[in-house]
Amino acid sequence: MSLPLLFKVLLTRKVVTILLLLQLAITLALLLNSVLLAQQTHQQLNQPTGLDLEETLLVQIKPTTPQLRAYPLLEDLLERQLNALRNIPGVVAAAYSNQGMLLQGGNNGNVYNVDDEERSNTSSVPIYFVSADYFKVLGVDVLQGRLPQQSSLFTKESFPSVVLTQSLAEHLFPEQSAVGRQLNRGSVSAVISDFYGQRNGENVMYNSIQVTRPFSVDWGYTLLLRTSPGQTSAVRQQLTTVLQQVEPNIEIFHIRSLAEQQQQLYRNEYGLATLLTILSALMLVVTMISSYSSTHFQVLKRQQEIGIKRALGASKRLIFIELLSEGWLCTLIGTLLGIGCALLLNHGLSQVISLPSLNWWLPLLTGAILLFSVTLAIWYPATIATRVSPATATKAL
Amino acid sequence: MITLTNLSKIFRTELIETHALREVNLQVNEGEFVALTGPSGSGKSTLLNILGTLEGFDSGDYLLDGQSVKGLSDSALSQLRNEKIGFIFQSFNLIKDFSIYDNIELPLRYRGLKAAERKQRIEQALELVGLHARRDYLPAQLSGGQQQRVAIARAIAGQPRILLADEPTGNLDSLMARQVMELLEKINQQGCTILMVTHDPDQARRAARNIQIVDGQLHDSTLYEPLAAHSA
Amino acid sequence: MEQFIYYLKVSLLSIKRAPLPYALTVFILSVGLGVFFANATFYYQLNSDPLPHKSDKLFFPMTLITPNDCNNCRPPRVLSYSNVQKLSASDIPSAQAAMYSSDGYARLSVDQPPTPVSIRITQRDFFKMFEVPLLHGSMWADDEAHNEVLLTRAMALKLLGRTDVVGESILLDDRNVSVIGVLDDWQMLPRLYDANGRNHLSAGEDIFLPLETGYDLNYLSRTNSQTFDDTDYRQLATEGRTGALHQLQYWVQLDTEEQQQAYKQFMQSLAEDEKAAGRHPAPINNQLVPMRNIVDYFGDDPGDIKAFALVTLLFLVVCLFNASHLALNRYLSNQYEFSLRRALGASRSQLQLQMLADVLLMTFLSITGALIIGYAGVSLMNTLLPRNSLFSDWNLTLMAGLMLTAFFCSYLVTLYPSIRASFGSLNQQLKE
Repeated sequence: MSLPLLFKVLLTRKVVTILLLLQLAITLALLLNSVLLAQQTHQQLNQPTGLDLEETLLVQIKPTTPQLRAYPLLEDLLERQLNALRNIPGVVAAAYSNQGMLLQGGNNGNVYNVDDEERSNTSSVPIYFVSADYFKVLGVDVLQGRLPQQSSLFTKESFPSVVLTQSLAEHLFPEQSAVGRQLNRGSVSAVISDFYGQRNGENVMYNSIQVTRPFSVDWGYTLLLRTSPGQTSAVRQQLTTVLQQVEPNIEIFHIRSLAEQQQQLYRNEYGLATLLTILSALMLVVTMISSYSSTHFQVLKRQQEIGIKRALGASKRLIFIELLSEGWLCTLIGTLLGIGCALLLNHGLSQVISLPSLNWWLPLLTGAILLFSVTLAIWYPATIATRVSPATATKAL
Repeated sequence: MITLTNLSKIFRTELIETHALREVNLQVNEGEFVALTGPSGSGKSTLLNILGTLEGFDSGDYLLDGQSVKGLSDSALSQLRNEKIGFIFQSFNLIKDFSIYDNIELPLRYRGLKAAERKQRIEQALELVGLHARRDYLPAQLSGGQQQRVAIARAIAGQPRILLADEPTGNLDSLMARQVMELLEKINQQGCTILMVTHDPDQARRAARNIQIVDGQLHDSTLYEPLAAHSA
Repeated sequence: MEQFIYYLKVSLLSIKRAPLPYALTVFILSVGLGVFFANATFYYQLNSDPLPHKSDKLFFPMTLITPNDCNNCRPPRVLSYSNVQKLSASDIPSAQAAMYSSDGYARLSVDQPPTPVSIRITQRDFFKMFEVPLLHGSMWADDEAHNEVLLTRAMALKLLGRTDVVGESILLDDRNVSVIGVLDDWQMLPRLYDANGRNHLSAGEDIFLPLETGYDLNYLSRTNSQTFDDTDYRQLATEGRTGALHQLQYWVQLDTEEQQQAYKQFMQSLAEDEKAAGRHPAPINNQLVPMRNIVDYFGDDPGDIKAFALVTLLFLVVCLFNASHLALNRYLSNQYEFSLRRALGASRSQLQLQMLADVLLMTFLSITGALIIGYAGVSLMNTLLPRNSLFSDWNLTLMAGLMLTAFFCSYLVTLYPSIRASFGSLNQQLKE
């Protein structure tokens, strides 16, 4: 079937063709942007965190009586809890921290190099107060210096030494070793590999850690455990009972693996991507219904014409291909229009959410999906068309 | 050219069995102009459809140009139809959205001819029917007679071996009817075999050979003498 | 009336002739409307004004009275105790209240397990300003420290099993407090007084405690807290009152334009005085944000609903195109009948009435479908985007909006096809 003839056929049904093209274009635009968002979310959920997501458990907890929230009772409580946790079979290491990681925001503050305050002042750096085994639980690598082996206290004269993540160290002390250098928070004793702290921070990998007891637990605190491979769910099941036995006056807010914590962090992005994907699928279904119905109607209306063509020597296969070609041509034009619409939609959406911009291969992929769906939808009506007998040409009006 | 041997066609519905054609035998030679007449419901349209491979038949055989059409696949039949047969219908059956040019071109495209060759053939056909000036018109812009001439042009552009005409002048007034008949005769003189179904005895007379169909059986009659010429 | 029933019968008959295309049209229209309606619910609720007659009179003052300098800084989202003291020295506002929220544990006696509660720590004008309905009892007599609390109705039922609990005593973090009031069911949506803490989408607090008591008992803010000097935030009662520990939200009611200008002037003078005294090194940047602009000011609007609003609108448009397309096919195949009726003497306007019957029937069916799909959509969105789940209720205004939209869409879908069908040339159509 020739292209000019196909165009002519489409042009005779201008309104219908325009409606069809517009809906194909918008369907493609939505499909394309949904795939983009789904891709982005997938990337976010799979980005390196520097943490062992499956085998690290996190318990967010708070003592329910004011006495237990103050020292010395708090210190004693923390000791007892850590000991009980270490005694659970399958637990490799346990530690406390004032806050967890893979958070949206939390306890954070300014960190700067006292010799270079102006340039190095970094705000919103997560500040951690942890027990000595913290680094063992996280399984991070020590890149410079030595980790503090024991907890020390804040006094007027001295602060506990600071352990920095690599990215922060490089930012505060470019081109030099950070170990032994002085920060507003204390002196640097070690640099460890990066891990994901807080999303709202200047850089998610910037973290400042001090081995000391938590300043205040009015917002609760975090117990972290590292389990041996395969033991995580067994350990998890026992946690509540064990902790309640140590001290019943506690509220356990949640127990999560770090993998779950990460999912929680990107929950809204995931939700939106899922919703958009569902909507795209619905739109595709609607377009398919429309293509099916439209082609079906066309076949019924053009029976005589099909009969004439058959009488003139068109084979069944040719009639079939002709109808499919009409659908393909529409889809192709619709796809081209759709790319324009997709750009507009992308621009519009990125005003309110974070969305990457279009790349070159995605229109091809989504165009192929659309083409496949339309072909599937009009397959049956096209088959019906082939059943029109050439003898219908001879039937008088 | 055409040989029908003991051909039968039966229409079956849930309640009724109709024998449209009963063991029909027919031999048409190349270059003949045959008129098929008969009362309504006699089976002449069915016969024409079968001859044009538009319909199948239930028993017997049909040889077209020496080749049996029995058992041919759909694509083979379509090719046969496209290359060897030309149709002219009572209701013209032009595609109303296509121009005259495009209508005539349609069967040539199915044959896969190149654009240059198609153009040449279409021009020739348009010349023959005298409608070259209106090649870009739509069918609705032409009179009935002109439309039928376009249909004829479409039928002969592919240089078929046989032309099948079903009441070609049925929807035309007497002047246009005469023009169409003259055209058909001209084509026949050029060597094309023509089979024409008609109600009109005058038209039947113009054909060299007359066959009557009654109740699904043929009677080769020369009841009517062919007119040698007619007044214009 | 009888004529209209006749028209309806004719509509039903034409549907029976080809039920599948009609069903598909209604389905597509329902899906488009349903999805649109599901998101419109959230959009409408999230953007609604919880106090429409008052939201232009309630203001959120912010000022940069902090010990540190900064360049092009916006004032902090929360104020310090001393900031609020200075601001509340003015008698220009007709009402003013400082507030923050915290967490605590409540129980009736020490041998009971504690119930986690959220606490709003505020001053007495809070209830007047935000029109909080009281079921029993009263609010605090003044803004001094009292060990007196107000409970929400739900919390009263939870702790004491009944709502008439004025005079009862409970333990809040193991300290005795007495209940002086119980709030009626009150859900301000969105909770714009907490917008600066990004909490305008969440549910309200369970217990209300006086501000001074909250500070005395060292309750720290659970949402937003910033320290600009070395104040020990654990010493809220002492250092927290004097140091640069910012955790307070502050709302004032300024009824008239004059009051608003006067207050702005007051804030300017205050900032200048503080600057002169060396307590305001940063450039002056006072803000007085009206309640209806507060979410925009902080830029905390979740973009997901807006994004989805754009997308569901497009989806509705596509569904309208689709349904139109199908309806066009349907009408064209029924053209013969239209033409016949015209040939028999029906006028164009009579045919339009026929079309109206078609439209009403389609509206009714598509509304039903849209409600079902809308409900499913809302449930799905609550599962996938749970932070908006409080905003998924349907009210009368929304329903009325849906009916109107459905009618309008059904009309659009039927409009072009029926015009084409009733305006064709008669003889041609009859011949066909």
